[in-house]
Amino acid sequence: MRVVWAFLRRTGTALLVLFGVSILIFVIARVIPGDPARVALGPNATADQVAALRLALRLDDPVPLQYLHYMAGLVRGDLGISLYTNRPVTTDIAQFLPASLELIFTAGLLMVAIGLPLGIIAARFRGRWPDHVVRVVSLTGVSAPSFVWAVAFMLIFGYWLKWFPISQRLHDSFQVAPVTGFLLIDTLLAGDGAAWRDAARHLVLPAFALALAGIGQAARLTRANMIETYDRPYIEMARAFGFAPGRIARRYAFRPSLIPSLTIIGLDFAAMLGSAFLVEQVFGWPGLSRYGVQVILRKDLNAIVGTVLVIAAMFILVNIIVDLLTVLFNPRIRLAKGGKA
Amino acid sequence: MRRALHILAANPLTLTGAVLVLLVVLAALLADVVAPYPEHAGAVVDFLNFNKPPSAEHLFGTDLVGRDLFSRVLFAYRISLLLGVVVLVISVPVGVTLGLMAGYLGGRREYVLMRITDVFLSIPPLVLAMSIMGVLPPTLLNGMLAVTAMWWPWYTRLVYNIVRGEKVEGYVLAAEIIGASKWHIMFREILPNCVPAVVTKITLDFGFVILIVSSLSFLGLGVQPPTPDLGSMVAEGARYLPDSWWLAVFPGLAILVAVFGFNLVGDGLRDILGAEQ
Amino acid sequence: MTLLSIRDLKLTFRLWSGPVEVLHGISLAIGKGERVALVGESGSGKSVTARIILGLLQEQRNARISGTVEFEGRDLARLSARERMSMRGRAMSMIFQDPTSSLNPVYRIGPQFREVLDRGSPGISAAEARARAAQMLAEVSIREPDRVLDSYPFQLSGGMNQRVMIAMALANRPALLLADEPGTALDVTVQAQTLDLMRGLVADHGTAVLFISHNLGVVREFADRTYVIYRGRIVESGPTAAVFGDPRHAYTRALMAAQPRLTGGGLPDIPERDPAFDAPAIHHAAGGAA
Repeated sequence: MRVVWAFLRRTGTALLVLFGVSILIFVIARVIPGDPARVALGPNATADQVAALRLALRLDDPVPLQYLHYMAGLVRGDLGISLYTNRPVTTDIAQFLPASLELIFTAGLLMVAIGLPLGIIAARFRGRWPDHVVRVVSLTGVSAPSFVWAVAFMLIFGYWLKWFPISQRLHDSFQVAPVTGFLLIDTLLAGDGAAWRDAARHLVLPAFALALAGIGQAARLTRANMIETYDRPYIEMARAFGFAPGRIARRYAFRPSLIPSLTIIGLDFAAMLGSAFLVEQVFGWPGLSRYGVQVILRKDLNAIVGTVLVIAAMFILVNIIVDLLTVLFNPRIRLAKGGKA
Repeated sequence: MRRALHILAANPLTLTGAVLVLLVVLAALLADVVAPYPEHAGAVVDFLNFNKPPSAEHLFGTDLVGRDLFSRVLFAYRISLLLGVVVLVISVPVGVTLGLMAGYLGGRREYVLMRITDVFLSIPPLVLAMSIMGVLPPTLLNGMLAVTAMWWPWYTRLVYNIVRGEKVEGYVLAAEIIGASKWHIMFREILPNCVPAVVTKITLDFGFVILIVSSLSFLGLGVQPPTPDLGSMVAEGARYLPDSWWLAVFPGLAILVAVFGFNLVGDGLRDILGAEQ
Repeated sequence: MTLLSIRDLKLTFRLWSGPVEVLHGISLAIGKGERVALVGESGSGKSVTARIILGLLQEQRNARISGTVEFEGRDLARLSARERMSMRGRAMSMIFQDPTSSLNPVYRIGPQFREVLDRGSPGISAAEARARAAQMLAEVSIREPDRVLDSYPFQLSGGMNQRVMIAMALANRPALLLADEPGTALDVTVQAQTLDLMRGLVADHGTAVLFISHNLGVVREFADRTYVIYRGRIVESGPTAAVFGDPRHAYTRALMAAQPRLTGGGLPDIPERDPAFDAPAIHHAAGGAA
């Protein structure tokens, strides 16, 4: 029961933080110098048109009042109209978000599936060549922004080797009915194997470019935590009992050290929500991030606030999930708070 | 200090990092002297030599208006490092002070400060800086402001966590018993214990600031042309792949080299400072 | 019948600052079923000796070992790392100072016990392992084996974990048990109880014990023979009664004089160095082998 309480408390704090985010981002968006209505309508608009838009956007109201009005809409699930697309911001987000999520989930999966094993190997061979190799590889991964990797991958594996496509999510010859918006799932639902493969091939380069920094972080962190765990008495006991090194690495060093790693891996995963902006830009990936850049450049107020709020909400959600996983993986917290023992 | 040098000498990776950092800093400081075409840092046009692949005359090739890419990279380093210094010079003292206050003073101040920190930390760093840059005119000063605004909470969080551990240590209690002032305890007693972690983070962050600033300008939200900037150079070059590959590759490589250097040093520093505790 | 024989064992660590010799040539022997104590302050080299016997230090790259360690007539230096590993947990086993932190915090006792039993009988089934584990726990006077097997180490008391560890260490009937300051982290009465238990068990099983301790009171109760170690050298050895009844080496005397009589807890307060401590070793000849 106390686990449930802890979860509720955590969610409560998260909502409070999200509320803070909405104020912060709203304030940032309203300090715009110049007239957003004028910017949106362009230099050829008449003064009447500008005044009409100002009225529609309630730009002449005091900022707190504008905020209240915005929040009232938010509660009803209305984020306003985008000046860039002339559609409700919610419609835009619903259209672009799945592509971003598909990319981010894939990259997150790569981060865990490659980063953790690299860290384990480095820790087991501490101070020897596999450790040095992993260290250099992971440091290189975190040392360039994802757009540099994106450009490099595009050039090498796209243009030169021609192994993978370099833009969009799917070749034009495929028609897939959008159900979830995740192409890997929609193509499966349509039973179209060729389209699935094509979608997967389109994902490879952007996902790797996005994941590289995370892979490096995850590897470094796992290594550090494993090494700390290797100094614990129960590892020595496992050695004294003659357990094989591989078994010790898996059951005695990895599992306990996973708990502190989880938090940071969650943070890295959430940071991809930001880096995705860069990767989507390079690969022309039709996701939320590309939309975000467009609306920021066009000073599209409602769309900026909406996009940032959605990203922050996902960011916070990821953190809550990570906290829950930490509790599940750590029997000490689970049992102490669960009152089962 | 001698010990630190000893460890440095014994660790080739850290040494490599130190050399890279030194090279980057020298390149930035001496850009006017070292750059073969210092005037190419500005809005110069040389149509006779436009879009040339790397050669002995132009190590990194030339851009679409004929400017020497190598010279522009050197001047771009200057901007990146300047931004890094300014961002950290402002955000570290602010973040550290707030962290000390939240951790040591406790109570309502702790709650409010840490929730505000949470708010800032709940928006992916790049997204926050983007939103700020998006609404402000894209000048160098605004770029610094935007990145600074997202940077201080990390130091607040870091210091806060350390202070919470140190607060119950004997030396703090002793200082309280002899009646030392709160400010004395925070800055004279507790702060020195945060220094190793903060210094390590500063070194690593130098690389990250370069990453974020270049990311902003890559999206067209940072330093504007003709000021040379690594991020916008990559963005520009990416449009002319694969034929004019050098336009994107060398500025990208320049980012990698600088950040890699700072990361190696930061990593080594963590070992050294950690070992001395 | 000698089970373990150590002759002129030297250990050097290569550190950044240069090589440091930690053991300067120690010799020691344990007969089958015999209980032998190795007594000294922390840093005297007792614990590294145990780790060499287990073959753990041999795998550390910066450790250089010379001299011979023979176990059941086989020279450990001639064995491969794999062969040494196969001896651990079966022919020899070890219990540690702090039982609670020596058990894996993320698994329940049951699965951990099964892993230990799996070393002795590879491929043992879960049900059989559980039955054997419960039986072993009963032998260390644990009344509710099932509850213990279903618990995580942090849910049990230190004394309970200590018993679990003893049961695990003896589960595969090793010929030699190394006990490194067992129970020092526990409170004194609990420590005494578990030591009693352990003494009974090793006697029943005919297990030889190398008992490593700084606590003379406990050693006196427990060991047939005693070696006193000081700064990597054996300074006095012989039957426990002889060493305690007639301590002849200056260091042994200092150690005894400093020992708190009743509790046995806490570290003895001995002058750090004294030229007399470096006097040649003394061997009491009576009774046991040497």
